Amino acid sequence: MKRYTLLILVTFFSFAGRAQQGANDWFEQANAAYNMGNYDSARIVYEKILATEVESVPLYLNLGNTYYKMHEYPMAIYYYEKALKLDPSNEDVQTNLAIANHAIVDKIEPVPQSFIVRGWRNARASLSGDQWAWCSIVFFALLLVSVFLFMRSRKMGVRKLGFFAGIVFLLAFVLSVIFAAQLKHASEIQDQAIIMAPTVTVKSSPNEASVDLFVLHEGTKVTVLETSNGWNKVKIANGSVGWLEVDKMLSF
Amino acid sequence: MKKILRSLLFIVCFAPLSLWAQDDPTLIVSTKKQVMVGERFQVVFEANAEGKNFQAPTFNGFTVLGGPFTSSSSSFSMVNGSMSHTVKNSYTFALQANQEGTFHIGSASLNVKGTKVNSEPFDIKVIPDDGSHAAPTGGSGSNNQGQSQQNTNDPQVSGKDLFLRVIPSKKSAYVGEQIVLTYKLYTKVPVSSVSMSKMPSYAGFWTKDISDNSGTLRQSSEYINGIEYTSAEVNKVIIVPQRSGKLMLDPMTLECVAQVRTERNNSRSMDPFDVFFNDPFFNRNIVNVKKELTSQTINLEVKNLPENGKPASFAGAVGNYNFKSDIDKTELSTNEAVTITLTVSGTGNVELLQMPTPVFPPDFEVYDPKITTSTDVSSQGLTGTKKAEYLAIPRRAGSFTIPAIEFSYFNPSNESYQTLSSEPYEIQVEKGTGSDEGGGIFASNQEDIKYLGSDIRHIMTGNAHLKPMHSVFFGSAAYYVALLVLLALFVVLLFVLKKREQLTQDTAANRNRKADKVARGRLKNAYQHLKAKDQEKFYVEMSQALWGYIADKLGIERSKLSMDTVSETMKSKNVPDELTQQFIDTLNSCEFARFAPGSAEEKMDDLYQRGIDVISKAEKVL
Repeated sequence: MKRYTLLILVTFFSFAGRAQQGANDWFEQANAAYNMGNYDSARIVYEKILATEVESVPLYLNLGNTYYKMHEYPMAIYYYEKALKLDPSNEDVQTNLAIANHAIVDKIEPVPQSFIVRGWRNARASLSGDQWAWCSIVFFALLLVSVFLFMRSRKMGVRKLGFFAGIVFLLAFVLSVIFAAQLKHASEIQDQAIIMAPTVTVKSSPNEASVDLFVLHEGTKVTVLETSNGWNKVKIANGSVGWLEVDKMLSF
Repeated sequence: MKKILRSLLFIVCFAPLSLWAQDDPTLIVSTKKQVMVGERFQVVFEANAEGKNFQAPTFNGFTVLGGPFTSSSSSFSMVNGSMSHTVKNSYTFALQANQEGTFHIGSASLNVKGTKVNSEPFDIKVIPDDGSHAAPTGGSGSNNQGQSQQNTNDPQVSGKDLFLRVIPSKKSAYVGEQIVLTYKLYTKVPVSSVSMSKMPSYAGFWTKDISDNSGTLRQSSEYINGIEYTSAEVNKVIIVPQRSGKLMLDPMTLECVAQVRTERNNSRSMDPFDVFFNDPFFNRNIVNVKKELTSQTINLEVKNLPENGKPASFAGAVGNYNFKSDIDKTELSTNEAVTITLTVSGTGNVELLQMPTPVFPPDFEVYDPKITTSTDVSSQGLTGTKKAEYLAIPRRAGSFTIPAIEFSYFNPSNESYQTLSSEPYEIQVEKGTGSDEGGGIFASNQEDIKYLGSDIRHIMTGNAHLKPMHSVFFGSAAYYVALLVLLALFVVLLFVLKKREQLTQDTAANRNRKADKVARGRLKNAYQHLKAKDQEKFYVEMSQALWGYIADKLGIERSKLSMDTVSETMKSKNVPDELTQQFIDTLNSCEFARFAPGSAEEKMDDLYQRGIDVISKAEKVL
């Protein structure tokens, strides 16, 4: 039984490894094309990699850069946002997203967030989801070590230390689990979208005949609140809410 | 005009002769049969008898400038005794032809002694203007009017004898391509002076006058339509079109004075003296005739430069050029100047040439270039050399590269763009002994970073870190496995330690750790005995509790256990003397009571309390 498992594992990893190798070669090719200024061919190769159902921050960043260089800012923003979803802490992606957001028409003043919400989000955004998951494992290990010290140490000081460290690590473990869970949730639900149509009119209800509320332009990020009949209820950064056709945006 | 004068002369001289031959009244017309448009001429009706009521025909197609001017003369002559009386009446009209064609003029009539005499109707053919009468007709301007009045009776200079022409080197050119315009005066008569009265405006052109201003006109002879003319270049201009399209060049107007020999007195007078003195040999019978000459209007077709293949470094140069670039040194120290000299030479509009600019590194201080232009005129137009000296001073040490400098121009002869480029220069700048050192003040060399532009961050290269989509580590099997493995390790570790403890329970360390527990267990038993008032058993338990505790705690073997070893070991472990003494005292009193029974109950109670007290005190210290 054990031998079979091993065999299956080995085969799986060798397959995965080979696929990975091909994708990495493509990645190199696409980077070379980008460096030569052949943005169109770079884009094609990056999208070929994406078509194999793999993703990574470098892939999304590079694809976003390629679109930026082709002056297709909405697509660039879309891929930068995707990269940020994987790793909210990546400084290169943050910088490029800020620059790309300057290239679009709509400039929306975001609703100011409370100090606590901002602090919570900033703390959460300081690491990627996987990094938080690893953190939780490390904190769990440290928690166990503390408990061990508390239980087994003969020295009073060490036991006290173990006790308090245990409390701290327990809190850290819980917090990192919450962060990781939130980021996982955010990456699984596609509640963000980028407007792709050059100009769209946001309606008051999900039908064509309803009142025009405001106009948005390509590249603007919206939050999708609910979906009904091919219409999305969207919210923009300043808090305004309205309805838009689904095909005018690209969710992520 | 001369012809007119001649015909008048003929009429005056010979008409009376015909009258002698016939006495019947006649009305004879004399005029030119063919005139040019705009030409002035006379129509004369002559009657050989006294008449009344002259009726002129209508001159359709002509303007009647004046008339009828009447004149009459009569003469009597005796020939061989017969006398004849001759009467001559003439009616003269001055006409001007207005348009081309053949015009029919009806007959004029005159009443002579009751009978009506008619003239013959006639036709006048008006032919196109050949320009020969331009000056005398003089309808074009007041200037001309005065001149014609002044010279009304003078001989005129015909347009065929004296005219101005402009000759462009080409009729079609590219924007920026140079065209040479040569203004030439052609003449058959001597010309005493030439002055320009109106220069063309040359709208849409950059111009440069390249005429020889030495004051004398170089003359040569040229044949035009088989006629020999003396030609002279009056003016030579290079024009460079600045925009495309059909551009029109205004004519140039020139005023010149021609010297014409007159013959007027010959025709007017038969006086032999006059004839004699009017001979040009004696009398300078030469009249200065002022004449205004106008060159023809020229349409030039100016083409735009082709967009196809236009190099990025093209800055409008058209012609044929050479490009050279020089650097005076490539190894220097900071604050020392380096000069790059760019030289463009060749045929074309050198004066308007835009020199290429070398791209110096940002740490160089670059000064405005010194540009010198020298031009020369050749048969192809303007040639010359333009030199630009760029002076730059490096302020920081290092090795720098000045990229190759490109110069592009459009060559109209093969209709293509040419790009010439220099070599890139590598410049090595050493740290010089500049003004930074020396002096008491420490000058900082620091400066702010210069931001030259902003762009997105470059792509990430290297490992792509690709992983399947939506593969979040948190919540995955691997994540739980990792947590479980950690937990299992913990449990296993605890378990293993517990096992090992059981195996090594008797070891000193174990005894030490368990000492308190064991002692408390014994003391608990002792308390039971105390309650039961079982003296013997109480003292045994108490003794064992104290001895056992101190033996376990100090790690003393049972065989070596004694009051002395206990006090010695306690001393060596830095237990306070007071506590040691207290412990020893408690042990002593316990032993004493054990082997000397019968003591009071209070004593047992007291001993129990002292035992608990010392053990808990010792536990704190040991």
